[in-house]
Amino acid sequence: MQNMYQNPTAFAQQNALERRVKISVKGWQNATRQDLVSFVSRKTRIAIVDSSVEGNLVIGYVNNQNEAQSLLNWNGVRFAGNALKFEILGNGGGDAGTSKTIVLLKSFLFKRYSPQTKMLDLGNLRNDPDLATNGLFSSQTTQSKIFPAMMKLASKESQLVVESINLSDNELKDLNMISCLAQTYPNLKNLCLANNQISRFRALEVWKNKFKELRELLMMNNPITTEPLYRSEVLRLFPRLVILDNVVIRDETKLQQVFSIPMKLQQFFFETNDLGQSSIDFVTNFLTLWDTNRSQLMALYTPQSQFSVAIDSSVPASSVPNADQNPTFGYYLPLSRNLTKISSERTKEQRLAMGQEAIDKIFKSLPKTKHFLQEQASSYSVEAFSYPQVQGFTITLHGFFEESAAPEIDANKSTPNSAGGRNRRFNHGHGNTPNKLAKRSFDRTWVIVPSQGTVIVASDLLTIRPFVDGSWIPQQVQPEPVLAQGQSPLSPLGPQGVQPITQPQIQPVIPGVPVQGVAVTPLILPPDVQAKLNPLQLDLLNKIHQETKLNAEFTYLLADQSGWNFDVAMKGFRESVNNIPREAFV
Amino acid sequence: MNSQSQTVDTFIKKVFAFLDEKDSQQLAPFLQCFEPTSSKIIVNANPFAQPAVFLETWQRAVVQTQHVLTGLDYHVIPGTGTTVCSVNGKVRFDESGRDKQGQDATAPELGAVAGAGAGPRAPAAKPRPLWGPYFGLSLQIILDDRVLNGDHNCVIYSFNYTMVYKPDDSLMSV
Repeated sequence: MQNMYQNPTAFAQQNALERRVKISVKGWQNATRQDLVSFVSRKTRIAIVDSSVEGNLVIGYVNNQNEAQSLLNWNGVRFAGNALKFEILGNGGGDAGTSKTIVLLKSFLFKRYSPQTKMLDLGNLRNDPDLATNGLFSSQTTQSKIFPAMMKLASKESQLVVESINLSDNELKDLNMISCLAQTYPNLKNLCLANNQISRFRALEVWKNKFKELRELLMMNNPITTEPLYRSEVLRLFPRLVILDNVVIRDETKLQQVFSIPMKLQQFFFETNDLGQSSIDFVTNFLTLWDTNRSQLMALYTPQSQFSVAIDSSVPASSVPNADQNPTFGYYLPLSRNLTKISSERTKEQRLAMGQEAIDKIFKSLPKTKHFLQEQASSYSVEAFSYPQVQGFTITLHGFFEESAAPEIDANKSTPNSAGGRNRRFNHGHGNTPNKLAKRSFDRTWVIVPSQGTVIVASDLLTIRPFVDGSWIPQQVQPEPVLAQGQSPLSPLGPQGVQPITQPQIQPVIPGVPVQGVAVTPLILPPDVQAKLNPLQLDLLNKIHQETKLNAEFTYLLADQSGWNFDVAMKGFRESVNNIPREAFV
Repeated sequence: MNSQSQTVDTFIKKVFAFLDEKDSQQLAPFLQCFEPTSSKIIVNANPFAQPAVFLETWQRAVVQTQHVLTGLDYHVIPGTGTTVCSVNGKVRFDESGRDKQGQDATAPELGAVAGAGAGPRAPAAKPRPLWGPYFGLSLQIILDDRVLNGDHNCVIYSFNYTMVYKPDDSLMSV
């Protein structure tokens, strides 16, 4: 429901909906429902809305109890050769009482909410004239129900963005009545419980491990504050609390430092600009073929190339967003070269595929897949850097795929050396159900050597694990706008579009290919600065900006300090990246 | 050949043990595992120019950790003298609010004597870590083949450490 102060029509509609009465009509069978409704409207001047047919009845609603009563007076009116019979089904009585309370509480919540301060003021509820006149705080029983009801309503109102709550002056002895606050507002930052009668720690215990973002708590004028362990108990219950009763109890800088790690998650790392572009081209083309025609990938492998797949079947914690809590790996386990799980040296050797023939066979034994690099670029993360010993580089891709069909070869049935008897024993109780197709997360590392205008894959290591949301995916706060700003590293994956692959070969990946078609917002420089720069310098600034995500001022500084040389600038950037302040980035 | 994968396994577990080490005095041998001049270190897609800078940052600014190895595979790349390893694991953090030195963010209590303000425990007790939920971890590491013979000196050419999933009930922000 809308904020009724911003949208009075919605409020009126809501009210109208609460008042309407459900009715039924019998004896209309010789005509259509629509004809009946039109007839009633013409004849009685009463509209039946939201009508539907249920057996030999037409069920619908009229606007209010008065209309329903007057409709009853029309009983016996002839329509299409029959006498009609009207009946009231939904008596407004009990229902209306509940919905009236809901409306009342909702309007109360909006009255007590301040959008500017993001504060919900629930102080001194007892003496609120609105609540008092409606008798909502008249008895103990209603009191204990009213707050949970209010919280339930509040949690449905997306317009109530609440960072602070005031619950002072409510004669609270414990938190029983308000414990549900932790479910409604788990990320609450400020809470005031002053002027209540809370006296025991046990009362606060229900909030342990809740309110992990709580920064400030006010409990003045509660008996509990005189307890000798008051401060340390509160510290224990609220790990991020900084201010208690207007006194600073934790050093906020230190707190930040303890609960964060300086290496902030990024979606991409490319050692150089060119490597970024060629890695993305490689990964995109590789996975397109992987999803459609794996045999064509064989052109990338030599007799020395190696491939193996490892299953990491450890189930992620249930608090990981969208984690698959019940994964099965039926198709993969006979192929898995997870060395922490295999003890037999022979198996370790067998499960490493070397050369095209062996690699092709494992490829055919893996379920058919679909990756979503274009459609959901934000679900993938890539790191690529050079590997001087092979005169090439490595690309690591983290992400997910969907299994679209069973593998061409079922490894469960073609395990080498599986004598019939052993196989049956091994497969005891092994049905087809564990092989259901699912979404998986994976990490895949390619060691790539450029060679004569194309590339070869020296090594290809694939780990498959239960599906989860990638850690680099931002929480739902603002999912899309990142892209719109155009500085997002997602852009190289996105706007490229699917490149139709006509030739069986992967696009040659040669470091040094100029970057092209990468969407990036040009830097906005002050006009006087811009006027002094030549187009080459502007281009360089944009390139640095794109690579580093530094803001205009720092991009200019970096370029200037490096003598307007891109490589020098990037080298300098990489060396000092950990010392650059956060504000320097866009 | 028999013990080759064992050796890699042992080395990776040693790397995890170093990452979990609380005492900075014990880290000198870890630094020696990195090739000193050209090793590439990338953590959560952030590059580090020097192994020493990475270890110093890890030691100073990351709370105590606990790593568990859940997946390991590797390929010896013929003719290069190097081996590429793909490692999966999980890691959890000490969410007690104390850093590796045992310092927490609590402001000193005015005039109060009892406890350090961090809970009703005996003042002399060694604080225990309060482990948070597990994060997912993917690590690619390129090693000199000497590691297969048990040599751990200057063997790490590159170290690409990425947290691939995170629980939303952790106090840690990454």
